[in-house]
This record gives sequence, C-alpha cells and structure tokens, in this order.
Amino acid sequence: MRVSLFVTCLGDRFFADAAADAVRLLRSLDVDVDFPKNQTCCGQPAWNAGHIPQAREMAAHTAAVFADSDYVVLPSGSCAAMLRCTYPRLLEAPVVAERSYELAEFLVDVLEITELGSGLEGRRLAYHHGCHALRELEVEEQPVRLLESAGAKIVPWEMDQECCGFGGLFAVKAPEVSIAMADRKLDTLPDVETVVSADGGCLLQLEGRARRRGVPIPFRPLASLLWEARSGRA
Amino acid sequence: MDVHSRDYRARARQIIEETPEVREAVNAATQTFVDNRQKAFADLDGTALSRWAERVKSHALSHLADYLEEAEARLVERGAHVHWAETASDVHQIFECIVREQGVKKAVKAKSMLSEEIGLNPFLESCGVEVFETDLGEYIIQLLGEPPSHIVGPSIHKSLDDTRVIFHERLGTPRDASPERLAEAARDLLRDAFLTADLGISGGNFLVAETGSIALIENEGNIRLSTSVPRIHIALVGIEKVLPKWADLPTFLQVTAKSATGQPVGCFVSMIQGPGGSPGDEPDGPEELHVVLVDNGRSRLLADPEAWEALRCVRCGACLNICPVYRQTGGHAYGYVYSGPIGGILGPGLVGLEETLPLPFASSACGACADVCPVRIPIPDLLHVWRQRAVERGLTSDVERSVLGLLTSTATRPRLFGWAEKAAGLLPAPVLRHLPMLREWSAGREPPRLEGPTFRELWDEGIE
Amino acid sequence: MSDERVSKRARARILGRVREANQEREPVEHPGTLPDALEPPGPFGDAGRSDPVGAFEDRLRAAGGEVVRLADEAAARKWLEEFAREFESVSVGVGVPDTLQPALPKAQPSEAALGVSVAVGASAQTGSLVLSSKEGRRSQLLPPVHLIWVRAGDVHTTLGDALQACREDLPATLALHSGPSKSADIGQILVTGVHGPGRIIAAVLLGPRP
Ligand code: SF4
Repeated sequence: MRVSLFVTCLGDRFFADAAADAVRLLRSLDVDVDFPKNQTCCGQPAWNAGHIPQAREMAAHTAAVFADSDYVVLPSGSCAAMLRCTYPRLLEAPVVAERSYELAEFLVDVLEITELGSGLEGRRLAYHHGCHALRELEVEEQPVRLLESAGAKIVPWEMDQECCGFGGLFAVKAPEVSIAMADRKLDTLPDVETVVSADGGCLLQLEGRARRRGVPIPFRPLASLLWEARSGRA
Repeated sequence: MDVHSRDYRARARQIIEETPEVREAVNAATQTFVDNRQKAFADLDGTALSRWAERVKSHALSHLADYLEEAEARLVERGAHVHWAETASDVHQIFECIVREQGVKKAVKAKSMLSEEIGLNPFLESCGVEVFETDLGEYIIQLLGEPPSHIVGPSIHKSLDDTRVIFHERLGTPRDASPERLAEAARDLLRDAFLTADLGISGGNFLVAETGSIALIENEGNIRLSTSVPRIHIALVGIEKVLPKWADLPTFLQVTAKSATGQPVGCFVSMIQGPGGSPGDEPDGPEELHVVLVDNGRSRLLADPEAWEALRCVRCGACLNICPVYRQTGGHAYGYVYSGPIGGILGPGLVGLEETLPLPFASSACGACADVCPVRIPIPDLLHVWRQRAVERGLTSDVERSVLGLLTSTATRPRLFGWAEKAAGLLPAPVLRHLPMLREWSAGREPPRLEGPTFRELWDEGIE
Repeated sequence: MSDERVSKRARARILGRVREANQEREPVEHPGTLPDALEPPGPFGDAGRSDPVGAFEDRLRAAGGEVVRLADEAAARKWLEEFAREFESVSVGVGVPDTLQPALPKAQPSEAALGVSVAVGASAQTGSLVLSSKEGRRSQLLPPVHLIWVRAGDVHTTLGDALQACREDLPATLALHSGPSKSADIGQILVTGVHGPGRIIAAVLLGPRP
C-alpha cells in the first residue's frame, strides 16, 4: 500500500520530528510513504477567516499535488477535516476529499490496526481532542485506543473535548479570550506527564500558554507518541 | 438597544482581566445548564427530535405570511387587538398610543429579549411609565442598570454577593441576607407592583397559527402574573415565532425547556388565546389583550438565501452554554442583545453586518454549538457565511488581508514556500515578536519554537 | 401618524416582504406528528403508559411538587379536613365542587393562605397540571400554597394528549403548572416560592367520576 504524506505547513515548520515519526511508523507497518514535494498549505487559515478565493487557490493547488495519491495521510486533524469536509465546497471534483485521513483514523479505520506495540507501558497521558477532528471527522476513539493499546493510561480530563482557544486567526484577533480558553484547559489538567494531540495549532496554543505560565508539562504530537508506542523508543 | 459590538475585544479583555468573578460565575452557571441539558436528553432520540423541530420551523417560515394571517384572524376572533410593527419606532408608537389612551402609569414586565432589542424600557420611562422587570434575574440587572448577559439567565454573571449589595442599597435588606430573604424582599415589592400595575408586558416563545395561541415558558410565575393580573396585557412577538398547529406546541415546549435548563417543561407555561375578564365570560384576567407582531429585520433576514436559517432559533441558550468563547466573558462583551454563537448570526442578519462586526469572528469555530441546537441551525456555517461577506465587502483588516495574500502566493509556489518555511526559522526572535499578529500571540503565549530543520529538510536527508 | 395607520402600513409591508422572500424558496413540508417509531420509549422517554398516575407523580415530585392519591371522595374529604388545618383562609376557583372546598374562611386571592383549583387535565410525561382561566387565575397564582384536584382519568400519558383534549374549548389562557415557583437567579442558588405558589399539591382522585 502506498500513501502520500501531507505534512501540512505547521507540521513542516514546527513538528518536523513528529512528521518524520509518522513516516517511520507507516513504514514499519509496511506502508510505502511518499512525500510530494510541491505540497504547501491546505488553505485552512484563509478559509477560516472568510477569504474564499485564496482558500480556493490553495485547495486547488493541494488537490493537484495529491491528484494521483491513493491515500493522503495527515498528522493533523483540522487539515484532514479541511480536505475531507471543506474541499467539496471549494472545488468541483475534489477526489482528494474522500482519500484523506488523519493519521490515527487511517491506522484504525483503513489499516484496521488495533495494537501498535507496547512502547507506552506505564505512561500517564492526557489527550486533547482537536475540534475539527472530533466534530467534522468524528475521530474520537481511534487515537485513544491506539495509545491505550500500547500500555498508556489516558487520564480522564473533563475538558478534553473543549476548544483550546486556537481557532486560527481567532488566537490573534481575540487574544485575551483565546488565552482565557487555554487557561481553562490548563487549569483543569489532571496529573499527567504529557499532553497529546493530533493538531499542531492546538499544540502551539496550549504549549505556548503553558510555557508562559511556567506549567512544566510537555505537549506532544500524536504521531510521535504513536511511533513510541510501536518502537518503544522515546 | 444600541449596538456596541465594535468594542468586543476591549470589553472582553476588560471582563477577563478586571472582573475574574464574572468569568467564574458564567462558567459555573453554563456548566450547570450543560449538565442538565445532557441529562434531559440522555435517554431520548435527540437527533430525531431536532430533525423534526427543524422541519416544523422551516415549514412555518416558508409559509410565514399565511400563518401570520391565520394567527391574526384567530386572535381577533377572540377579541384581541393585533398590531404590526416594522421597526423599533413602530413598536414605540403603538405603546405610546396605548399608554396615553389608557392612562397607564405602572407596568410589570416579564422577560422579553425582543423588548431589549427595541429598547422598550427607556422608551416607556420617557412616556412617564414606571416599569418593573419581574423576572428575578431581570429585576436584579434592572436595579444595576445592566443589560442581560444571557438569553435565559439574564443575571448569570452576578454572584450572590452582588445581589446582596444592590438589594441592601435599594431594598434595605441586611448585607448578609440569605438568598431566600433576598427573594422574599423582591417578591414583596413586585407583588405590590403586580396588584397595582395597569399594564403587563410579555414576550412570546411561540405563536400557534391554528389557535392564535401565544405560548410562554417560565419558572417563577411572573409571566403568569404579568399576563393575568393587570387590566391590559401587551405581548411582543417576533414574526418568526410561528408554529403551524396546536399539536406542534407540546413537543416544542418540551424541546425548548430541555435544551434551556434540562427541565421537562418549565414550572409554568401560559397558552394565551385572548383577553379574559369582562369581554369573555371569565372571572378575571386582562380586559384587553394587544399582540404586537414585530419584524425589526426579520423579513429581510428571511430573504437571505443562506443566513435565514437563524430565524428557526427558539432562544433556548444551549449554544451559549456550550460555547467556550462565550463562557470566558458572558454576554456583555458582545455589545448586542443576543450574544454567543446565536448573536454572531442574528446580529448581522437583523441589524447589519457592519454594525455588528466583529461578532461573526468572535468564535474559534469549534463547532460545539451545532451539536446542541434543537432546531439544527448550522451556526458554524452561518458564522462563516458572515465572515465571507465581511471579507468581500472589505470590512476586515488590511493586515489580515496582506498576510493571507502572502500566504496564498507562497503556498501556490512550492519552492518559494519551502524556502520561506526554512527562512522563518532564521528570523531572530525579537523581530518575530514585533510582527503584526505575532505580537498579539506573544502577549500571553510563548512564540512557537522555530529552530531546527523543516520536515522537507529531514526528508531530503533521508528518514531512518 | 396614528397607531392604527402605522400598524396597517407595517402589516402590508411586512407580509409583502415575507411573501417576496419566500417566493424563491422551495417550500418545506410539515413533517406531521413525530413518527410512532420514536415511541416507546418515545422521544421524551416512556412516560409510563401502563401507569400514567405513577409517572405523573414521579415527575411532579422530582420538580418539587407534592402528590396525594385519594381512593374516593370520602377519603378526599377526610384528607382535606386534615390538610386544611394549617391554613387560615382560602381562595377557591370557580367550579371547585362544594365537597372539595375546605371549611376555611374565604379571602381575596391576594390575602388567602391557600388557593384551591380543579385541573382540567394532567400530563404524566411532564408532571404538569392543566389549568383553565375559566376558573379564575388569581386563586391559581396569588396564594402561597396551591392545592389542585385532578381526576386520575384526566391524567394523560403525554403532554400532547393532555393538550389535545383541551383543543376544542380553549379558554382565554390555558396554563401548565409543573412545580412550585422557583428561581436560581440569585447567585445560581435555587429558591422556591418566588412569585407564584411556593407549594403545589396535586390531589389525585382515583375513584370513578361521580
Ligand atoms: S441557535 Fe439553537 S441553540 Fe442557540 S439559542 Fe437558538 S435554538 Fe437555542
């Protein structure tokens, strides 16, 4: 099986190691991974802010880049939701929409993987559900199940499905509200060693706020934890 | 009511930074609403219910003129006066005539968001009418001179102590009075108002075309009293409140109450068909019933091919309670009667986009509201429609436009994009901190770490 | 411009704009009643098809109301005598049979310690008593305690059934009372008896209609 990795703009710049972990993970599962070099940004920031022509341009570019891919796998829930749920509103024949998957979703729903390994034995994690993965892709159990199957304890967190306050440009248009939202998440965080999420934007938001407040917990991309689950290597 | 949405960010900041107790109170109250709502729907087929409710409302709206005429005919048959008002000033004129002709000096009023929309209280006061808000929450904020903060719980942003202070000053209750004692003080004062007022004013949750019924849901009994005790009752009803049939009402009453507070139906429901008292053959009740059917932007919104769906709203407040943006500030930050997600789509639709910016942007687009709306209004999509229009009409900031323009032109040139991703990592942090947007980011958050290779570089080196 | 002229002009313009707005729109069909497939347990849960009175009692109690079941009129009168002792005066709705009126001095509704009504129906689904304005509203609303007689045979399973039964002869105001008056507007703390009655007692008459 061959999949194309869509690393996404945030993934390329801020989460390069995690994206590399996604490649390692997929390869270890006998999946051929290619990386179409012309990929850029899915267009979500423009769409979200209401700039449709720009969003459409980026969507068309992305659709062309992945036109020949059997599967497009993204280590980002909101970008996967952009391709699957929003491209049909922007493009006439968005074949790429039906072939796009968030990483954990791809592993569970397409590859039908239930266990990755035992590399997370004894780890205490909290999982932050990104809004678009949760409500648009309806990816809820997949990442949690994969982490748990590798021995991690996902500690219940009453706010795990509440928005972190990132929201694209919202984070800078209403920064005080955005930060207050992040604070609610941080204030309710249970006793865990790491917070995991499939969304780069959420991670930047939560981590940026936690660091500013001096909260010493790491915030890490799901792809890295899944690779640890499989390889046992941190 | 005047719209002050422009100041959204400043007001939000002020609430968050200067009155943290407001944020706490709003969070606690909305969480209770959310939990109760969830329990109320736990064993039900909520999807089937909301699909049904959506279709009934859409049907009613798509035949609105006929249903309004039907409701009017039924009400007139029962001896009610039906008035029509296009704007706030029409409503004012109608009230002015009634209060002048009837010599009204004192009015008791049950909570009505529409009355807030059209600034009824200040107008009546200018006509020399003393107006008593009788819903306890409304009464508290009337004493404080504040607008409601939530469409169901107008005073949810106020603590017990806030009420103690204002009641101590105004009603002379002890500074440490218990909630029961405070409620008693308000009841005594308002009981007197009920018994001596000439006029009772209410809104209307639903208007049933088939029977001309105005239906109202409440918990305190103040709506029943306002619509039963004074000699005249005026009901202000938005034209979108129509339900086609009497048989539609029981489900809507229940769905609305469950969505709002998780109650089966609310402690009191009034279904008003006409005046009571002497014209009818009943022992008491108002001798005159006036129903004012108010447009105030609704028919224009109905003509909007996309945004009209907001008119299905039953004002249950579920979208506010679930909204993580609303919960940080309560309703006052929004500067408009309707706050939260529904405010972001009703404001531009009823008042105008320019007047209510940035409300459609006061959302992180998390989508939680869409899951709870009992009439399936696609709130996130409609917020997005208004965002698009704001951009098309050039109402958004130049900085934003340039930044997104830059992103687009690089993103459609892959080599340039790759280079830019790499170059971003070379920018010194102090420069970054001063770039527009990054400045706002950095005010309360550490900027993202930019050092290290991009994924492209890792891929080129080969991933082991 | 006079009030009537304002209203007439507004009426024409509003209805005109509404009709125009809907001209372009595909009309939406009314979906009819909620499909039977949703019952039981039904869209609002199984309201106790087999035992509507029991379900009614549970719901009303859950909302803070009180319920007594009385086997027949004799039992009702006996219970009433006992119950009435704690009150000094009463205001009785038109149509409450003499036999179900407490032997207390009559007072204006605004002065009376107890109000007594007869419900025209009840809904088990919501724990609601259905009251008609024909019996007078003040005795339903002003006294601090409200006793409401209801016949077991008038307790309908659903609110829909209860309202449908009133459809042909609607009074000026039909009301549902489903619990004592309450509010959480003061610091989110629940208080009862805010404006309406703070105690509501449903007395269910189980025997056959006399
Ligand atoms: S938009 Fe929906 S959820 Fe929000 S108040 Fe209106 S009906 Fe309730």
